[in-house]
Amino acid sequence: MLKAIKRFFGERPSGQEAKKRMQFVLMHDRLDLTPDMMEALKNDILTVLSRYMEIDTNSIKVDFEQGKEYTALVSNVQVKRVLRRPECTR
Amino acid sequence: MAGRTIVVTSGKGGVGKTTTVANIGTALAKKKHSVVLIDGDIGLRNLDVVMGLENRIVYNLVDIIEGRCRKEQAMIRDRKLGNLCIIPAAQTRDKDSVQPEQMKRLCEELAEEFDYVFIDCPAGIEQGFKNAVAGAQLAIVVTTPEVSAIRDADRVIGLLEASMLRDVHLIVNRLNDRMVKKGDMMSTEDIVALLAIPLLGIVPESEDVVVSTNRGVPLVHDRSSRAGAAFQGIAARLNGEDVPVHNGRELGFRDFFRKLFTGQ
Ligand SMILES: Nc1ncnc2c1ncn2[C@@H]1O[C@H](COP(=O)(O)OP(=O)(O)O)[C@@H](O)[C@H]1O
Ligand SMILES: [Mg+2]
Repeated sequence: MLKAIKRFFGERPSGQEAKKRMQFVLMHDRLDLTPDMMEALKNDILTVLSRYMEIDTNSIKVDFEQGKEYTALVSNVQVKRVLRRPECTR
Repeated sequence: MAGRTIVVTSGKGGVGKTTTVANIGTALAKKKHSVVLIDGDIGLRNLDVVMGLENRIVYNLVDIIEGRCRKEQAMIRDRKLGNLCIIPAAQTRDKDSVQPEQMKRLCEELAEEFDYVFIDCPAGIEQGFKNAVAGAQLAIVVTTPEVSAIRDADRVIGLLEASMLRDVHLIVNRLNDRMVKKGDMMSTEDIVALLAIPLLGIVPESEDVVVSTNRGVPLVHDRSSRAGAAFQGIAARLNGEDVPVHNGRELGFRDFFRKLFTGQ
């Protein structure tokens, strides 16, 4: 009964939740990206982006998203200010 | 013509490898094929008790490998089927007492004599796993519908592919239809999509499995068991017969009547 109520309020059945979690876990396992490598990837993305804009370096998130037919790398960064003339600051 | 060598593996322990080897092997022997089952779980021997042959062991796999006996001396013939036998694992040795090359040679020799050579792989991905897969041409990966078993299965599939074993098939064991219907268990489709290898069969969660191991008589001898029927279907497909994979269709008589009278 409690379960039915929880479902009513949008709790996903646990089977689906397991599937979603496994998609993520298996992708990470297969890519074999260690936390260190993820950190390095983030830093590289930050370095490139900051050539063009001022960004909040603490805000960066990098995730993998598994679609039916594709795997996407999704990165979210907060832009503070876009520089007027990229790379020609003087 | 040489027989086929098949390893049954999983990564995680306790998911049903030994049960699978015992039942598929017995089902194929019932179809008049000659079958040998090798217990590759050195130090944790189990296939003998599941097959009900524990009282007859004299020599074991390591005795063959180290030349203390001829391989015929270590083979134990099944009580019911004359064309089925097992080679038990050593109980008091560790997995390092066998090398992959030695297993490979033994499997090749056995494939000359038998139609099917099955290797029951130990849990894990270390030496015992490497030995068990060394001589195999085909791998069956067993998983249950649980996250840890699936994750380990994926890891094992990766290792098999890296070791040039490309013929890899999946068995989903202990599927609970009721839980899948409620949405509280991953479905077979979900699992196949995650692991991306062909599905060889589905075995339902069943009390019959426990009863059968209690008695040391493989389930496929029990014509009323649904899980037994599932294993028979798997054996038939492995044998190249055109039997569709279907959890519900491979239903035993007892379940059929249970459904008829209780409606569940
Ligand atoms: N389909 C099933 N339904 C119920 N119990 C099962 C099923 N398959 C396996 N078991 C039980 O799970 C346990 C582990 O099985 P086993 O074949 O020994 O696994 P493994 O060889 O992978 O360690 C055993 O007690 C067995 O009886
Ligand atoms: Mg076992």
